[in-house]
Amino acid sequence: MTDSFILGLSSGSACLVTCGMVMFPYLMAGSAGVKKIAVDLLIFLLTRLVIYFLLATLAWYFGQALFSASVLRTFIPGTLYIVFAGMLIWYSVGRNRTKECPAKIVTTVENKRLIPIFLGLVNTLGFCPALLLILTKGAAQDTLGQSYLAFFAFFAGSTLWFIPLPFAGKIRKKKVIEIIGILATGLAGAIFIIKGLTIIIGGILNG
Amino acid sequence: MDNTAVTYKMKKTFGKSLLYTLPMFIITFMFITGGKPDFSDPSTALAMSITFLGVNVLYFLMHYTGKTDRFRAVLFIVFAMSLSFTLISNMLETRDAMSFSRADMLECKIPFCHLVIPMMIIPAAFTRSIIFPGSIIGGFADISSMVILWLAATLVLGRGFCSWGCFYGGWEDGFSRFRKKPVIKRISESWKWMPFAVLIMVALTAALTLVPTYCDWICPFKAVTEFEQVTGVASAAKAGIFISLFGGLVVILPVMTKKRTQCSFLCPLGPINSVSNKVTPFAIKIDKKSCTECMKCVDTCPLFALTPEGIKAGSVSIFCSKCGKCVDACTRNAIHFGIKGVPSGTMKNFSRNLFLFVSFLFIAVFSSGAIINSLQSLLKLIF
Repeated sequence: MTDSFILGLSSGSACLVTCGMVMFPYLMAGSAGVKKIAVDLLIFLLTRLVIYFLLATLAWYFGQALFSASVLRTFIPGTLYIVFAGMLIWYSVGRNRTKECPAKIVTTVENKRLIPIFLGLVNTLGFCPALLLILTKGAAQDTLGQSYLAFFAFFAGSTLWFIPLPFAGKIRKKKVIEIIGILATGLAGAIFIIKGLTIIIGGILNG
Repeated sequence: MDNTAVTYKMKKTFGKSLLYTLPMFIITFMFITGGKPDFSDPSTALAMSITFLGVNVLYFLMHYTGKTDRFRAVLFIVFAMSLSFTLISNMLETRDAMSFSRADMLECKIPFCHLVIPMMIIPAAFTRSIIFPGSIIGGFADISSMVILWLAATLVLGRGFCSWGCFYGGWEDGFSRFRKKPVIKRISESWKWMPFAVLIMVALTAALTLVPTYCDWICPFKAVTEFEQVTGVASAAKAGIFISLFGGLVVILPVMTKKRTQCSFLCPLGPINSVSNKVTPFAIKIDKKSCTECMKCVDTCPLFALTPEGIKAGSVSIFCSKCGKCVDACTRNAIHFGIKGVPSGTMKNFSRNLFLFVSFLFIAVFSSGAIINSLQSLLKLIF
């Protein structure tokens, strides 16, 4: 659960770095009051939570179907952890990382009330390495409850970054926070690489 | 640029330097001997005498030559090596190994170090418990005395603790002096924010798991102190991590870059000490009237605290550990030890003398025990 929370926390910062500029104007538009911003933010977060639970269910059922043999249960998640964590590290240290936000499409939505839901949807399903990692983790869990717990921890970690959004305008040194967030993403990647290696080596040693 | 600006001389005459060393001489004598010199055990007496003289000679030379960093570094490096030596010999005496077992953890026999402090704060606030398996009062390297020492030093010296008090920093400080010129010269400025990311990670993971995760998984200095017994895949992974980090960040990169890379890119205590720089009375200041913007100080800074933009603006970042390397490198004394509230370029000698007295006294008192212990062991080995 801790690693899921950390993964959410670190990837949440990266998500904010990528999508912040698209989401700021919609979630905390200058003219909107604190109440309106809070409600929109709540809808946005609830949408993300619902989607995460759906993904947790899907991932777990896929995991049960795909990783039926104990060998597969060890090697596939272990390998996927390493691959996706590698992608996450590449994202954090790579100079050419994309800064295109999938939520940019929100500008085409005309019904303003749907925007927080739409943003939550696009933001959650923007298949980043962190989401792929948590999907792998959800799939590798023994019970559906554990899968939900992993996704909830991931959601909780990433949500911490969205809570201060209404005060974003007052935050100084945004660039520094961005850098720290991106570096934290790389660290989360390193944690999952170690986890992946430990799973695989443990699997080999335990036969 | 005003070329007529006064260049201050930090050098002092022999007599004046002796006079400045006198208070240090008396205080260190009291601390080292406890006021009652005991010559009953020759090896102890010899170790105490060497430590006492060595410390005071270094302090004298700081005043006599006007240079700070080279003499600070000698004590800093000796301190790091002595402490590791003392710790390891202590482990070998009590456990017959550098590794500790689960039983040692359960009996709270693990020596405490200041790097655990960032991980203790949240669990201590919420659960009113200390998540480190060490003794709170009494015993070797107990928690309360280490926390008090660190807190006092940090409040007075700020990040100066990292160059005047940390008993690990000497390792990489030493390795960073191996080469005359760096092999790797360009390092992205962004990396200096990494300790903040590490701090967030370890503080939260420690709060969630109630385990000091930095010590458990990351700390590279386990290589020169103690580590968990390798009993399975997880403990083997931990051993692999700390050995790699020690090799990479404490040995290889400092040699290649001439920077203290572990302090700059990993240590979770660094950010707390950096922020404390904001409240401490001492600071490194830039006298813009004397500065020629040669940027020698930027190149020599081991902690990425100085940038060309900062020098032009006359500011030093929060990453400064007041090691004095930049001060020594500046031929015009444009960068100098200062006191907050006092304009830069003024009271340079007074500020330096005051800072040196406080910081040197701290490291001298803090390090003397470890140096004496290691000298004693060495003397016993030789004779």
